[in-house]
Amino acid sequence: MYCSLLLKRARLALASALLLAALPAGAQTTLRIGMTAADIPATTSQPDSGFEGNRFAGLTLFDALTLWDLSSAEKPSVVIPGLAESWAVDAKDKTKWVFKLRKGVKFHDGTAFNADAAIFNFEKVLDKSKPHYDARLVAQTLPRMPTLKGATKVDDYTIIVETSEPDAFLPFNLTNLFMASPAAWAKTRSWTEFAKAPVGSGPWKFVRLVPRERLELEKFTGYWNKNRVPKTDRMVLIPMPEPNTRVAALLSGQVDWIEAPPSDAIPQLRSKGYQITSNPYPHTWPWQLNVAPGSPFADKRVRQALQLAVDREGLRRLLGFNAIAAKGVVFENHPWFGKPKFEVKYDPVTARKLLAEAGYGPGKRLKMKVQISASGSGQMQPIAMNEYIQQQLKEIGVDVEFDVIVWETLFNNWRLGAKDPAARGADAINVSFAWQDPFFGFARFYDSRMVAPRSVNWGWIQDAEMDKLVAKARGSFDAKARDIALSKVHERAVEESYFLFWVHDVGPRALSPKVKGFVQAKNWFQDFSTVSMQ
Amino acid sequence: MFYYLLKRLALVIPIALSVTIVCFSLVYIAPGDPLSAILPSDASIELIDKLKKDYGLDKPIPVQYAIWLGRAVQGDLGTSIATGRPVNAELGRAIFNTLILALFGSLIGFSLGLAFGTIAGYRQGTWIDKSVTALAVAGVSVPHYWLGMVMVIVFSVYFNMLPAMGAGPGGDWIWDAEHLKYVVLPAITISVIPTAIVTRTVRALVADILGREFVIALRAKGLTDRGVFWHVVKNAAPTSLAVMGVQLGYLMGGSILVETVFSWPGSGFLLNTAIFQRDIPLLQGTILALALFFVSLNLIVDLVQTALDPRIRRA
Amino acid sequence: MSTTVIGLASPAMPAPRESMLRLFAAQFASSKLALLGLVFLVLFLMLAIFAPWIAPQNPFELATLNIMDSKLPPGSVSSNGAMTYWLGTDGQARDVFSAILYGLRISLIVGFVTVSAAFTIGATVGLISAYFGGRIDALLMRIVDIQLSFPAILVALVLLAVLGKGVDKVIYALVAVQWAYFARAARGAAIVERNKEYVQAARCMSLSWQRILWRHIFPNCIPPLMVIATIDLAHAIALEATLSFLGVGVPVTEPSLGMLISNGYEFMMSGAYWIAFYPGIALALVVVAINMVGDHLRDILNPRNEI
Repeated sequence: MYCSLLLKRARLALASALLLAALPAGAQTTLRIGMTAADIPATTSQPDSGFEGNRFAGLTLFDALTLWDLSSAEKPSVVIPGLAESWAVDAKDKTKWVFKLRKGVKFHDGTAFNADAAIFNFEKVLDKSKPHYDARLVAQTLPRMPTLKGATKVDDYTIIVETSEPDAFLPFNLTNLFMASPAAWAKTRSWTEFAKAPVGSGPWKFVRLVPRERLELEKFTGYWNKNRVPKTDRMVLIPMPEPNTRVAALLSGQVDWIEAPPSDAIPQLRSKGYQITSNPYPHTWPWQLNVAPGSPFADKRVRQALQLAVDREGLRRLLGFNAIAAKGVVFENHPWFGKPKFEVKYDPVTARKLLAEAGYGPGKRLKMKVQISASGSGQMQPIAMNEYIQQQLKEIGVDVEFDVIVWETLFNNWRLGAKDPAARGADAINVSFAWQDPFFGFARFYDSRMVAPRSVNWGWIQDAEMDKLVAKARGSFDAKARDIALSKVHERAVEESYFLFWVHDVGPRALSPKVKGFVQAKNWFQDFSTVSMQ
Repeated sequence: MFYYLLKRLALVIPIALSVTIVCFSLVYIAPGDPLSAILPSDASIELIDKLKKDYGLDKPIPVQYAIWLGRAVQGDLGTSIATGRPVNAELGRAIFNTLILALFGSLIGFSLGLAFGTIAGYRQGTWIDKSVTALAVAGVSVPHYWLGMVMVIVFSVYFNMLPAMGAGPGGDWIWDAEHLKYVVLPAITISVIPTAIVTRTVRALVADILGREFVIALRAKGLTDRGVFWHVVKNAAPTSLAVMGVQLGYLMGGSILVETVFSWPGSGFLLNTAIFQRDIPLLQGTILALALFFVSLNLIVDLVQTALDPRIRRA
Repeated sequence: MSTTVIGLASPAMPAPRESMLRLFAAQFASSKLALLGLVFLVLFLMLAIFAPWIAPQNPFELATLNIMDSKLPPGSVSSNGAMTYWLGTDGQARDVFSAILYGLRISLIVGFVTVSAAFTIGATVGLISAYFGGRIDALLMRIVDIQLSFPAILVALVLLAVLGKGVDKVIYALVAVQWAYFARAARGAAIVERNKEYVQAARCMSLSWQRILWRHIFPNCIPPLMVIATIDLAHAIALEATLSFLGVGVPVTEPSLGMLISNGYEFMMSGAYWIAFYPGIALALVVVAINMVGDHLRDILNPRNEI
């Protein structure tokens, strides 16, 4: 009797405690997200930590002149006007673009966004003579816009942006140049200080930053696009590099949303009522071959044979079906896919035949070495996946040896190219990549000038035909013509099989049942404005 | 005594200096690019060279060392490459967090160890003693990161009783119940080894004292059990405290694992992050701070011991 | 201990030593716990040495793995019906039991190689330090003191951050943190011996110092060093596992027990507990077994020594 009374009391106390906890939550809603980054991405206006940095510390706090359309889960996302209302290339001089800026946009500190503010943000990465030029920002920015040369003001809402050569990819590239408030920088004249209280014009305002622990944002009611004023009052971003920690934190109610739950935990999360969202995004997990003269992979037949030798369904199964089979750099229904004459599929018979034609067979097995990492951002489950491919290739007579190195070193080697001693004679390298803009997806890999030390044409592709196609795409300033030109590049990329395309990631996320209204776009970036908490 | 103190202090300087040289050079022999922490995947070699210049990494290494040491002596450890924040500030927070963890860890370790050890010592040879001894052996042998994992699964995931990671609901440490909840699991995990070691020590001490002639004599004289117990405690306390002092050093080192498992933002976690991000200034700063911590801890232990026991005063 | 001068020149004292061994064995057998530990240790050694013959599967022979069999719970039968996975399979369809046997191998190799190297280096430094004394002694012991004032895990971690991954590199790092224990113990024991009559006598006979050191002083330092060696073996194995868990130890391609735990950690949340659980148990058992032997050795070889 006494016991049950005690129990009742305890229950009552618990209920009122819950009620108390629920009350302020009703007044103010908070979305807490566990990121995969090891630290809060830099809030200097040019985030580090790759695209995850842009997702959480870039597009939340800041806007760029051009933005990705993240409103649809079905369509491939396209570039739309952001702080620029429209843009056009100069008909006579294709290296000059006119950008008309959006009027009436205010930064979070109340100052106006105008041509001077835009120019300031170009200068921060381009003009060494300016006090706001900063090497850290340069490192995060310029690799993503290699042809950007400068910008000049025409009037308060018009600027001219210049590139070093005609480059139709510029609007894509500029999605990575974020507009910070010059007035906020001027207060301390230091980006390090600015990062402690960043001011942009994005849908989220900065509240607080605890280094390595959390970044707190609140909704910016004065955001210029009324449709994208956040539906949640606050957003808290917490770095959790360890996948299990993320799952544990979600299950124990410390966060409402986690990025990239490990595929093994997904069935369990689902059974407990958590929402699992996923959607393919522009990510490819390939083997990039060394095709320099003298390599066995200079022979197209060998490359195609390998392309056909692996059953990608097995890879998907290995990943709990959290991947889609790759048929090229981009998805099959993407405007850039085109109609390649060679189909990437599982066909071991043809694979053996092609190998035999190239002079390999039971008597002369093809041996190859691949540099891989044991982990790394976007690398999925590299060891298991590579071992699976190794098993499959063995069956058509290819013996694969792995050189497992640290992720950071692998990354470095990617830049150094296949001819560098660091490659240790590897025939292929396994570095996953993003291709949401054409420079990332094609130009940096297939353009013969992009070999080390310029960019990541790791395998020394020197294909004059390809160069022509890439140049044509770069020079196609009409969006439709550009997409057609890119599809020609892609067709050749598939037919030549310079890369072995294995899978695309689907970017799983796990959300608590309380999270509503999230639309996962086919993109590295996502819109948090539509999310509400119940 | 004063002379000894001076001599001991004078010795700290060359030690500290060699520590700085070691930690500075270690980082530069390491493979990989010191700038990889901030470079995006596809930065060209040209850009890397440019950045090296901007960060002063193109100068000869002795020059870099001199610059670094000059600043470090003035208490400026530079800025983290990865985050752009001053290393000092990062370290200050991290060391504070580790101290919190170490404090709770040693409290648990010392009290549990004392209790277990005394019981086992009193009941020497019985099954209680045997199970305590077995527990103590298991305690030092079980990989405690693994124990931490299991506890997270049980207490955070299944029972939702305690948070799985972090040092509090938001930022800075506050002495309240909410924050104490965060410290429970990591503190228990980190206290396992000190508990086991203190238990073993205390058990041996108690058994030893109880077996000594003076206790037997006291008992024969009709001293009560309580009186005997008091004697035992008086005799066992200094050694167990000394053992615990040594364990405090261990806690600072062992924290690296526990902090990693629980994402506890302390110095060990920071060191691990710095290693994996190849954040050179942060790595140098953390190693230096930890090294100086241990050098001073040793100095203090030495001095205290000397003060207590003049026989140790060596040449 | 005998201090007869007569037995000096030959590999000394066959008769007393044999009886000492017998005495030692009897003393050791007095503890059932320690005997049990020894039995387990020998068993683990056998398992590790004969792993290729005992293990139902070679976990590194990729052709024998079938991805369909991944993450099967303990007791499952393989899809081709050829074998039963008594401890389940991991994410790559490796039989966990086989992986443990092979992992045990790597863990024990790392442990034994480390301890032998640290023993050799440490004992040499300690003996030289004790024999020559003076400045050499002061310098060497100062280095030992400094080394021992830093937690082993931190020093090893920092070293491995520099050296990179690899079984060999883990061994270097572990030797670097362990030699100092041997040096200190060897010096302590050797100083006692150095002042004994037989050594004084040997010096008078103007035997070379190497000979005195190795033939006469060293054998008498072996007991305390053996104690350190046993305890450090357990330390080395545990430390290697820890380092691998932190991601700086052995590479994934050569998984030790620690690496297996670390790999299995990924699956803990999804309920496939066995992938990390059993390697954890195996590691704990090995370390407990060695510690039980070590503890008892310490009790009988140098009683009332440091705790």
